[in-house]
Amino acid sequence: MLTYTQQFVRWLFHFYSKQCLSIKNTDTKTIANLKKTGASRWTHCRKRGADGNLRKCHEVEEPGKSSQSSRRQESFTTPESEGPVSRVKNWGDEVEAEEMRSNVRRDMHRYRRRILEADFPQRDRKISSGSSDSRDSRDSKESPAKGDIETDENTLIRRQKQINYGKNTLAYDRYIKEVPKHMRQPGVHPKTPNKFKKYSRRSWDQQIKLWRVKLHAWDPPAEEGSDLQQIEEIDLGEIMDFELDVECSADTESQCPTSSGASLSLAEAFKWSLSLVV
Amino acid sequence: MENSSKEEYTIRSFDLETQKLLKTALKDPGSVDLEKVSNVIVDQSLKDQIFSREAGRICFTIVQAEAKQTNGNVFRRNLLNRLQQEFKAREETRKRSTHEWVCLVSFICNIFDYLKVNNMPMMALVHPVYDCLFRLAQSDALKNEEEVDCLVLQLHGIGDQLEKMNLQLMDELFNLLRDGFLLQEDLSSMGRLLLLEILEFRAGGWTLSETAQKYYYSEVTD
Repeated sequence: MLTYTQQFVRWLFHFYSKQCLSIKNTDTKTIANLKKTGASRWTHCRKRGADGNLRKCHEVEEPGKSSQSSRRQESFTTPESEGPVSRVKNWGDEVEAEEMRSNVRRDMHRYRRRILEADFPQRDRKISSGSSDSRDSRDSKESPAKGDIETDENTLIRRQKQINYGKNTLAYDRYIKEVPKHMRQPGVHPKTPNKFKKYSRRSWDQQIKLWRVKLHAWDPPAEEGSDLQQIEEIDLGEIMDFELDVECSADTESQCPTSSGASLSLAEAFKWSLSLVV
Repeated sequence: MENSSKEEYTIRSFDLETQKLLKTALKDPGSVDLEKVSNVIVDQSLKDQIFSREAGRICFTIVQAEAKQTNGNVFRRNLLNRLQQEFKAREETRKRSTHEWVCLVSFICNIFDYLKVNNMPMMALVHPVYDCLFRLAQSDALKNEEEVDCLVLQLHGIGDQLEKMNLQLMDELFNLLRDGFLLQEDLSSMGRLLLLEILEFRAGGWTLSETAQKYYYSEVTD
């Protein structure tokens, strides 16, 4: 009678040898084609495509094939382009993108002016923690150098889109009607994350998540449906646009690699499974 | 108030039901089918030359009203995408009906003039507008007075803005116009005069000197 571990290892070998075969049977031309689209020979093992969307089982992305389930990216950024370039130029979309870009630029000018204004009155005085001279008195303390703000337009546009999702909700409308800005208490009332501050991607995404969760307190009553809709509006595709690589350390037995969203190399899987047997 | 009566004057060319639709769109855009409204406006602009020169103002008002009321962009998006379709089919339109073609050009330029994004002209329309004007500057178009007239009218209205957006293209366009004026033999005399005027107009910094004004626009006494 095999132990559970031994059974699992057996299954694992079996599973991966099957994959080996199917990869072997993939001719070089298909592999070359897959490489062109940025897919790899492991693509069909993955649960999610490069754009973050779930795939149907055992689907291989073939270039040039416009299958219903293959959702190719609507836009891409090349080194030469000034930002995302749409695949099919659609005037409506182009103008919206223009508008977003110029809004972000305008916001940046305003923000810079605000920082400068905030800095000047405080130059000669020591600031007590209770001081509320300028709205951003705390902010300007935290961003000491004036050059220390986020200036990359693509980042700002991405962040603004995320902010717009949140502001485009009933909850937000009700919140701003109920609580005017000067009545807001830090910690109690949600505050829109400042897109101009330097944050890592993860930190920013987390702030947005927390902000949106807090906003739910102002959801309209007895509307279950709209609640769910708002949660779905968080564009997971944007937040999760990287593959999760599971690190398998040979030491820990307990770390079991998950097959969902993970791309395991054969070597890593074998290393891990061997560690169990030894 | 004066603006709204201007708009109301323009929509008098529609039947009563459509007039009502447009009036509601101007005041309460969230309550109407904005895709339908944009189609109605585009369709009329392709038929009615006077409307095609005025529709931009109505469109701008609806865009602003919608943004204020629902924070939406539905009308503008539909309008632009419909316009793009018409633009793509412009060569067939020109073959079918010169009148429709000049209405189309007039409408696109009017939209370019009125529909600003944060007080800046829409960059997405710059090349399409230039494409239209270049088409009008071809020799087969220059011999049509109707097309020359459309061309110079647009340049009077938005020439300076277009030049700011892309100087090189404007230079190329005017090279064509100059060549046409000097070399093309089948131009009507009115066509030739119109071209001369626009050449001087641009040379004067998009304005006509007083002498030129007198030359082109005053009555000659016998």
